[in-house]
Amino acid sequence: MPKDTILIADDAELNREMIKFIFEEQYQIIEAEDGEQAIHYIRENKHSLCLIFLDLMMPNKSGLDVLKYMNLYDYIDYIPVIMITGEATDETEEKAYEFGASDVIYKPFAPNVVMRRAKNLMELFEHRIDVEKELVKRTNELIESREQLARSNEFLINALSTVVEFRSLESGEHIQRVKYFTKLFLKYIRKFYPKYGITKKKAELITNASALHDLGKIAISDSILLKPGKLTEEEFEEMKKHTLYGCEILEKFRQEDNEFYQYCYDICRYHHERYDGKGYPEGLAGDEIPIWAQIVSIVDVYDALVSERVYKAPYAVEVAARMIHDGECGIFSPEMLDCFELARAELFAVTENGLSFADAEGIH
Amino acid sequence: MTVQECYEAIGGDYNDIMSRLKTEERVKKFAGMFLKEKCYQTLVQTIEEGNQEEAFRAAHTLKGVCQNMSFTTLFHSSFAITESLRGSNMDEAKTLLEQVTKDYERTIDGVTKLLEQ
Repeated sequence: MPKDTILIADDAELNREMIKFIFEEQYQIIEAEDGEQAIHYIRENKHSLCLIFLDLMMPNKSGLDVLKYMNLYDYIDYIPVIMITGEATDETEEKAYEFGASDVIYKPFAPNVVMRRAKNLMELFEHRIDVEKELVKRTNELIESREQLARSNEFLINALSTVVEFRSLESGEHIQRVKYFTKLFLKYIRKFYPKYGITKKKAELITNASALHDLGKIAISDSILLKPGKLTEEEFEEMKKHTLYGCEILEKFRQEDNEFYQYCYDICRYHHERYDGKGYPEGLAGDEIPIWAQIVSIVDVYDALVSERVYKAPYAVEVAARMIHDGECGIFSPEMLDCFELARAELFAVTENGLSFADAEGIH
Repeated sequence: MTVQECYEAIGGDYNDIMSRLKTEERVKKFAGMFLKEKCYQTLVQTIEEGNQEEAFRAAHTLKGVCQNMSFTTLFHSSFAITESLRGSNMDEAKTLLEQVTKDYERTIDGVTKLLEQ
């Protein structure tokens, strides 16, 4: 809609006419005899108004009432208002500026001055509105490109993790499940354990980082990684080193002060530590193990238990849950076990119905 | 009667109005509109009724119109009555109304003669 309409609100027709004749060739003119009419016309023409001349002293509703109304609906931000007054020292004039009037003109009107000030003001507002529109556009573009970048990032991480997993002749879904379970755990950590300070942003980063937990397995030889039978002690020692190999790979792309790098590093290195200090590679205990590594550790164990492997059949979900609680396959913190219980139904649902079912429900 | 003669007769400022409106034709057009303004009548009526608030607004409007028309004499008396009504001084306003009436009638008379031709 073109902004080509000027509203003139003054109770004296002569005064309105004296402004009208200046603009009527170039603009649509609407006249209001009092404040109530002015408010009505502003509401009706809010998209086409480019300027308002407003007398302060009017019957029914005053010029200040009109300004208050315009503030209430934020019209004052995009329609410039020029107050008309007879007195140069009126205290209401100061109020008019306070309520967002852009300019004040005094009787008697000098048409060429009124014209020039009005045009300046309209240009100023038009320019400001254009700048604001441009800003909104740029902001949206920025948000969109950031989202795109995040999607590309996630895609690359998934691709990389899946490469590792494919070598183990697994389907690739383990990674997706670990990510989903990690997200679930983070939901409950955020809700019931605010002491860990996991924000929404951190949770997203940790979830993405969890996909890389077994990155180091790329450096384990086929003879060990793909061995169907039980590993010898020596082979197992080598296998345990995937936690360190993962970090070696990451260190080649070391990122100082990068939160995401830190999560990836900690998760690769510490996802086989145990709460009682008997895990590997460092033997960290209790809260020495970063919470994100603790989460990936427990969900990795759960998924391994309920999945089929070349060397074992899957455990039933109830059995796997009992084994985790009884400490038969790792020792976890009370908080982790609590989150496991909170997430129990959702974990079981994914195991029994597959991930596509869970994805559709989403986590909020 | 020319516009300049009219302004002299009613105690207006011819140079001022011409500097703002530029053409005599335009001055005549607005002078014609002044004849139709009802704020003087409203002022008389509301003072009679003792309605200070409405009287103040009418006086204020009359004063503003006179300012725009460069009707200097009527502007001065309507300014005075506006100020006494702003201060709620009804007795003083009643006295001042006499002067306003005198100046108003003189103005109407002059403008009417200007437009008659």
